[in-house]
Amino acid sequence: MARHNLSTVVGFEFTRTVKKRRFWIATLAIPVLLGIVFGLVFTSNTSTQSRADAQKNQSLAFTYTDASGLIDAKLATAMGGTPEQDPATAVERVKAGTLNAWFSFPANLTQEPVKVYGADQGIFKNGSYEAVAKQLVLLSAQVKVGSPELAAAVQGNFSTESQTFKDGQPSGGLETVVPPLLFLVLFYVVIILLANQMLASTLEEKENRVTEMILTTLNPTTLVVGKVISLFLVGAVQALVFATPMALGYVFFRDQLAMPDFDLSNLQFQFLPMLVGALLFIGGFILFTGVLVGIGAVMPTAKDASTVFAPVMIMMFIPFYIVTLVVSDPGSVIVQVFTFFPFTAPITAMLRNAFGSLNGVSAAIVIVELFVFGAVALRVAVHLFRYGSIEYSRKLSLRTAFSRKS
Amino acid sequence: MDAAEPLIHVENFHMQFGQKKVIDGLSFDVARGETFGFLGSNGSGKTTTIRALLGIYRPTAGILHINGRVFSDDFGSRLGYLPEERGLYKKESVLDVMGYFGRLKGLSKADAVAFSRQYLQRVDLADKADVRVDKLSGGEQQKIQLGVTIMNEPELLILDEPTKGFDPVNRRLLMDIIEERKDAGATVMMVTHQMEEVERLCDSIILLKDGRAEAYGTIDEVQNQFGGRTIRLKHTGNIPDSPNYKVTLRENNYAELSVDDRVDEAEVLRELVLAGVVVRGFVAAKRSLEDIFIQVYGEAPGSEGAPAAKRGAAPGAGKAA
Repeated sequence: MARHNLSTVVGFEFTRTVKKRRFWIATLAIPVLLGIVFGLVFTSNTSTQSRADAQKNQSLAFTYTDASGLIDAKLATAMGGTPEQDPATAVERVKAGTLNAWFSFPANLTQEPVKVYGADQGIFKNGSYEAVAKQLVLLSAQVKVGSPELAAAVQGNFSTESQTFKDGQPSGGLETVVPPLLFLVLFYVVIILLANQMLASTLEEKENRVTEMILTTLNPTTLVVGKVISLFLVGAVQALVFATPMALGYVFFRDQLAMPDFDLSNLQFQFLPMLVGALLFIGGFILFTGVLVGIGAVMPTAKDASTVFAPVMIMMFIPFYIVTLVVSDPGSVIVQVFTFFPFTAPITAMLRNAFGSLNGVSAAIVIVELFVFGAVALRVAVHLFRYGSIEYSRKLSLRTAFSRKS
Repeated sequence: MDAAEPLIHVENFHMQFGQKKVIDGLSFDVARGETFGFLGSNGSGKTTTIRALLGIYRPTAGILHINGRVFSDDFGSRLGYLPEERGLYKKESVLDVMGYFGRLKGLSKADAVAFSRQYLQRVDLADKADVRVDKLSGGEQQKIQLGVTIMNEPELLILDEPTKGFDPVNRRLLMDIIEERKDAGATVMMVTHQMEEVERLCDSIILLKDGRAEAYGTIDEVQNQFGGRTIRLKHTGNIPDSPNYKVTLRENNYAELSVDDRVDEAEVLRELVLAGVVVRGFVAAKRSLEDIFIQVYGEAPGSEGAPAAKRGAAPGAGKAA
């Protein structure tokens, strides 16, 4: 019967949420906005590319004087330049508009600037004078060096591949950090998306005066667990809807949308960090859910509940203030405190787990702590729900709730 | 479970909220198939007793059993409970809400929908099946809640002021539905301030005052406990005060007099005639429950908030309280 009731509660709570027009408006708003932004980025990138191509083919007419002797005349001609015959009047001619641009390359480039004079073409296009002048110096220098490798080395145009080892095994880089961090993202998405709904859902029986009928039909634990499961499913639907345009954009329009080319096949899913990440996620979810249900049970309305709910949510964000310490100095006192304080533990421990600074003992302690506190929070929440939701229009006194005999 | 065992057994029940004692040693039984009236002025502890009986409150002390054990949601599928605080999921359609509760009470989805449609037809709400609950009037919502209460054909119906907020037509409909459940063998426990409902439906009653049973038994037993009779009088002329009777009702040319068992009715009649009252009708009967209620609580049934200070003849604690 309990299992039948649990599935009935999950079905009812899930269906009635996803059947609401308001839910779909809120859920689809983000992907629609993303779609619009993607569309704009796509259009902008296309026109920018066309403009860049056009600019590439367009030569800039200029004259130049070269006191350094570095400039290659052939290159300069190819880029639209001609040697200036009358440098004394060049600036005046640019002013008068009879000369498009004049570049004056000094004798010593390391000590003096290249002077660039040009007719105004608008704030963005004016930059092309300097760009052409610099490009001309760079290419001329490459010609002088006479070796593409040396030129590349001087410019730093080369790549490196590194490999580090821990306990005799390759320790991996960013590709090992990202997968466990996915649990952190998931945790934030789930809690932020669902916290308000969870609070509203817990308060609903009270606000609708339906508590007594429910409590005499159904075990409160079944009701609370059913609500949590249904909200988790609702969150999964939302996450799927949000992720779909991102995934489609990444797979099919990565270049057009100027998305970073991150090779997902390089990601390394290491068993232990993934297991620890998953357990931290589940433990943290249970703890925060229990606390939210408890708040909903004690407070008479959603408005009252939100004042208590805000500090709990803030505690989720506090670890990000010390994220650099979490990465660079995980042994510091504040990181240790945040690792083991229940409300900051999920985030801090998930970060440390991803960056490889959470050792096995600490991980075990945090996981056990989260599960124990989570179970206690849920149990207290159910107790408060049983006695709090009958206090229809007033806040439940905790002393009253706990003084009632079991 | 022995069929002779009471379905509800309450023994020496105490309930205290903080320092405030709400129920003080209450005991009573409700037999299987019986319709039991739970009477009392506002704040006398009726709803608290029901909530404790159903596990919503935990008692300070005492035994509260349904079907031989403390209530748990296992019995939920056999219970129909209409609480004093009315409410349903307001943003959902009528059919969705009824279907949900039907499923929770152990019905299949098809049975829950079939019952709901049939019930809505009966209470003239067939066209509201797909309407959101909060779009219905208060009376219509009450009908839906009653439907939810009885949809599992419960063997125990607990109704806390079921007719509150109903107009006379719907009150009659409600009484018919309760009577049907009663005829089907259900045990009914109802809180009401409507004495005509009690007289029509109840086999036995308990009168609660300040958390204690003031009277308890069948209606006849309670009337006998309080003793005395009611004289219904049609008359002209002023009825004088007298130590032999007490005027409990005056309406134009009609009055009801409450008389003690020791007073001879003929003596009352003689006294009235000698006082110049023209008597056109004179009927003596056992005291009405309304009379008894007024005597116990010092107020008419259902009146709000009046202190239950006045107390008539001490009737004792009833058969079990």
